[in-house]
Amino acid sequence: MRTNKFVLPIFVVFVIFATALTACGPAATAVPTEAPTAAPTEAPVDPMAELVVAAQAEGNLTTIALPHDWCNYGEAIQAYKDKYGIAVNELLPDGSSGEEIEAIKANKDNTGPQAPDVVDVGLSFGPTSAAEGLLMPYKVSTWDTIPDSAKDKDGYWYGDYFGVMAFQVNTDVATSVPADWADLLKPEFNGQVALSGDPRLSNQAIQAVFASALANGGSLDNAQPGLDFFKAMNAAGNLVPLIGNNGLVAKGEIAVRITWDYNGLAGNDGFAGNPKSTLVIPATGRFAGMYVQAISAYAPHPNAAKLWMEFLYSDEGQIYWMKGYCHPIREADLRTRGVIPADLLAKIPDITGAVFPSLDQLNAAKALITGDWDKVVGANIQAAP
Amino acid sequence: MDNKILTGHLAKAPRSSWKAWLGVVPFFIFAILFLLLPSVRLFIGSFTDNSGKFTLENIIQLFTQKTILDAYKVSIQISAVTALAGGIFGFMLAYSVTVGGLPKPLRSALITFSGVASNFAGVPLAFAFVATLGRTGFITAILKNVFHLNIYQSGFTLYGFIGLCLTYMYFQFPLMVLVMAPALDGLKKEWKEAALNLGANNLQYWLKVAMPVLLPSILGSMILLFGNSFGAYATAYALTGGQLPIVTILIGAQIRGDVLHNPGLGYSLAMGMVIIMAVSLGFYSWLQGWTERWLK
Amino acid sequence: MNLISKARKISIWSWFWFILGVLYYVLPLYATLVFSLQMERGVVSFKAYESAFADPEFWRTFSYSIFLAVMTIIVSITLVVPTAYWIRLKLPEARRIVEFITLMPFVVPAIILVFGLIRIYSFPVVIPFTSIQIIPPLTNFKVGTNILIIAGYIVLGLPYMYRSVDTGMRTVDVRTLTEAAQAMGANWGTIITKVILPNVRTALLSGALLTFAIVVGEVILASFLGVPAFGPYLFLLGQHRAYEPAALSFTTFLLTWAAMGIIQLVTGGQGQTTGAH
Repeated sequence: MRTNKFVLPIFVVFVIFATALTACGPAATAVPTEAPTAAPTEAPVDPMAELVVAAQAEGNLTTIALPHDWCNYGEAIQAYKDKYGIAVNELLPDGSSGEEIEAIKANKDNTGPQAPDVVDVGLSFGPTSAAEGLLMPYKVSTWDTIPDSAKDKDGYWYGDYFGVMAFQVNTDVATSVPADWADLLKPEFNGQVALSGDPRLSNQAIQAVFASALANGGSLDNAQPGLDFFKAMNAAGNLVPLIGNNGLVAKGEIAVRITWDYNGLAGNDGFAGNPKSTLVIPATGRFAGMYVQAISAYAPHPNAAKLWMEFLYSDEGQIYWMKGYCHPIREADLRTRGVIPADLLAKIPDITGAVFPSLDQLNAAKALITGDWDKVVGANIQAAP
Repeated sequence: MDNKILTGHLAKAPRSSWKAWLGVVPFFIFAILFLLLPSVRLFIGSFTDNSGKFTLENIIQLFTQKTILDAYKVSIQISAVTALAGGIFGFMLAYSVTVGGLPKPLRSALITFSGVASNFAGVPLAFAFVATLGRTGFITAILKNVFHLNIYQSGFTLYGFIGLCLTYMYFQFPLMVLVMAPALDGLKKEWKEAALNLGANNLQYWLKVAMPVLLPSILGSMILLFGNSFGAYATAYALTGGQLPIVTILIGAQIRGDVLHNPGLGYSLAMGMVIIMAVSLGFYSWLQGWTERWLK
Repeated sequence: MNLISKARKISIWSWFWFILGVLYYVLPLYATLVFSLQMERGVVSFKAYESAFADPEFWRTFSYSIFLAVMTIIVSITLVVPTAYWIRLKLPEARRIVEFITLMPFVVPAIILVFGLIRIYSFPVVIPFTSIQIIPPLTNFKVGTNILIIAGYIVLGLPYMYRSVDTGMRTVDVRTLTEAAQAMGANWGTIITKVILPNVRTALLSGALLTFAIVVGEVILASFLGVPAFGPYLFLLGQHRAYEPAALSFTTFLLTWAAMGIIQLVTGGQGQTTGAH
C-alpha cells in the first residue's frame, strides 16, 4: 500500500498520545458526584416572586420526552416561555420513561443542554428513581390539593395527569373496528396492531401489556396473562414490531395503535378527517395509568425547573393538560372550585369506574413485563435467516 | 472515489525547514482536537474497566456477549447484501453509460442523479421508502391492484431486513456508479480491437481481458459500499425507530444511556466498528491502486 | 459480426439496466410527491406544503441549520485553503499525512465521532500532568455545544472540502501565481485572499454546496448533542404527522438536487460522492 511510509510514524504518535492521556487524562468512567441537594420546601406566597427571578436568571429549562401533542404540552411549553421569558430546550421528544431516567444518569456531570432538568415518567418509575438518588424533592405551592395516593410524601415525585388505555384506529385501513382486546387476535388484524413503545422501556407499552392482562383472566396482581396475550398476538402475526406513533397511524402503516386515550384523541383531531379514525376504549374495562413529574437531582437549572412545576400545577397549567384530553391530578379540586371552562368539561373523556393499579401492583407488573418480554414474546425485528 | 488522493505524487522536493510546518499547524491542531482525541478516547476506553484499570475483558466480551454478536451479525449481513447487490446493479448501470454506448446526455444525467441519490440518505429517504413500499405505499398498491400480489400478506415488511436492504440500495448503487464510471472509461478501446483481431469473441474479451483489469476495482468498490452501509445510522433509525439490532443503533443507545451497563464495552463496540471501517477502506484503496496501474 | 451490430446488441442490455436504474431512482421520489399532495381527502392539493411551511418550528430549526452550515463552510474554508495551498507550495512531504487525516472521517462515521466528542468534551481538557484547563467542558454550555457541532460538521465534510480545493489548486498553477504576486510585492495575506481564493472559486463552491447538503440534513450529531437543528425536527415530524414530512422530504430532495446540479454545472461533470448518513 502506498501510504505505508507514514503508517509507522503516525502509529508512534498515536501511541505516545495515548500513553500521555492514560496517565492523566479524564477518568475513563463518570466521576462520582455529590449527593443530590435537598431543596427547602417552599412555603406558598412570596417565595414565588423570588423563584421567578432566580429562574429567569438561569434563563433556560431543559425538558425531555414531551411530545407537543401529548396532553397539549405544546401549548403549555409555549405559555411558559411567553409568561416568563425562559427558553426551553426540548430533548428527545419521543423518548420513553426509561430513556428519560437514562438521560439523567448519563448526564450527571453535564450542566449543558443535553442534561434534562425535569422528567415526566410513568408512576412506577418515580419511586425507583428516587431510591437511586436521581430526583430532587420539591413541593409545589398547590401541594395540598394533590391526592395523597398520587405523590411521594417527601416531594420527590408527584402525579400529574392520568388517562385510560385505548385503541386508536385508522378506519380507512382497518377492515373492522375492534371492540375489545380479544378482537385484536382476529385474522383481519394481521400485521395491523402496534404498541406505542418498547415494553422494556416505555411506560405506555408496559401499561398496555398490563391492561391486556385484565381482559385475559389476569388481575391487577397478575400481569402474566398480558404477556401471554401479546405472545399469541405476535405468533398470529397481528403484532407489528414497531413503535406505533401517530405518524404511522396517519400514514396507514399501523391500523390499530394501543395508546392512552388522550393520545388517541389528540391524534385523531390532528388528522382532520384524513385518514378517518376513531378511538375505542376496550369493553372489558377502563385501565387507568398515571404519570408523575419530578426534578432531576442533577438539574443544571433547578430554579427554572421548580418554576416549571409551579406553572404546571397552577390552575392554568392543569387546564392546559385538560385541553389535551388528560385528566389533571388536581381535577377534583378544580371541579369543586368551578374553574374548568364548560367546553372542556364536555370534551374530556369520561373515565368513571376506571381501575388504578396500586404502586406495589405496578412495580410487580413492571418487573414481570420488562424482565420477561424478551423471553415470552420476543417480538424483535430479526435478520432474515 | 478518486485514487489520486490515495496514491499522491512521489515528490522529490528537498526537506523543508521546520518553519514551513507552521503553515499547517492550525489544521493539525483542529485534527488533533476533534478527530484524533475522540478516536483515542474511544480506543483507550475500550481497554479500561469501570475502576480505570487496564483490561482486555471488554474486547473479549465483544465476541461473547449475545446482544453484541447478534448486532454485528445483522450489520454484516445487511452490509454484505447491499454491497453485493448495490455493486452489481451499480456496475451494470455504469457499464450501460460507458462501454454500453448510451448517449452522452444520458450519462451526465445519470452521474448527476447518482450524486444526488448517494447524498439522499437518512430521514427523508426513510420517509420516501415508506411512501413507496410501506403498507399503503405506492408500489405496494400497484402490486396489489394491478398484479394481485399482496407482498405484506406474504410476510414482507419494509421494517425488516429486506426492507432495510432495499432502502440502503438507494444510496449504495449510485456510489458504485460514481466510482466505476471512471474505471470503465479507462478500458482502452485498443484492447478490445486487439483481442478481436486476435480471434477472440466478445465473451472471451470480457472474461480474459476486461474483467481481470476491472476486478480489483469492482471488488474494492464493493468493499467501500460495505463500509458505507456498516456505518449508516440515521436511515435505519428513521425507518425502524431504533428497533433493528445493528451495531450503529446499539452504539446510539449506549451513548444515550448505558444500555450495556459497561461503558468500556461501549467503547470497544465503537472500536470494533472503526476497525471494520478501516480495514474496508484499506482494502478499497489497495485494490483501487492495483486497477489504476492498468487504467492510467 | 461487424462492430455496428455488436454495438446495437450491447445497447439493448444497456437500455435495460439504465431504465431499471432510472426507475429505482425516480419511483420513491414520485411516491413521496404523490403522497405529499394527498393531505386533503380526495383532492390533489399543496395543503401539506402549506402546513409544513406554516410551522414556526420549521423555520426556527431550518434557519438554525443554515446558520450552522454557513459557519461550517466559513471555518472549513479558512482551515482547508491555506493548508492545501501550503502543502502544494512549500510542504509536499506533509501531503501524505494530511490526506490520511482527510480520509479518517470515512473510517470514523458520524455516530462514532459524536460518541467520542461527547465523552471527551463533557470533561475539561487539561494539560497533561497539571490541572490547568485549556478547554472547559464544552457540552456544559450552549456556545460550547455549538462549537462542538460545527467542529463535527467540519470533520464530516473534510474529505470533500479538501479534495475539492486540492483538485482546484491542481488545475490552477498556484506556484506561478504566487511567484507573480510576490514579484509585484504582495504579502501572504494578499496572496491568499486576492490571488488564490478567487482562482479556486469553483472548487470552493463545490465544496461549500456539498457541505451545505450534508449539514442541513444531518441528524446524528444534532440529536445526540441536543442541538435544535432541522434533521431532528424532520424526524420528529414524521413521528406525529404523515403528509407534512413527505412534503418536507420532497423539498429536501429538490434542495439537494439543486445543490448537486450547480456543482455539476460549475465543475463540468465531475460530480462528487458522499456516503450514507
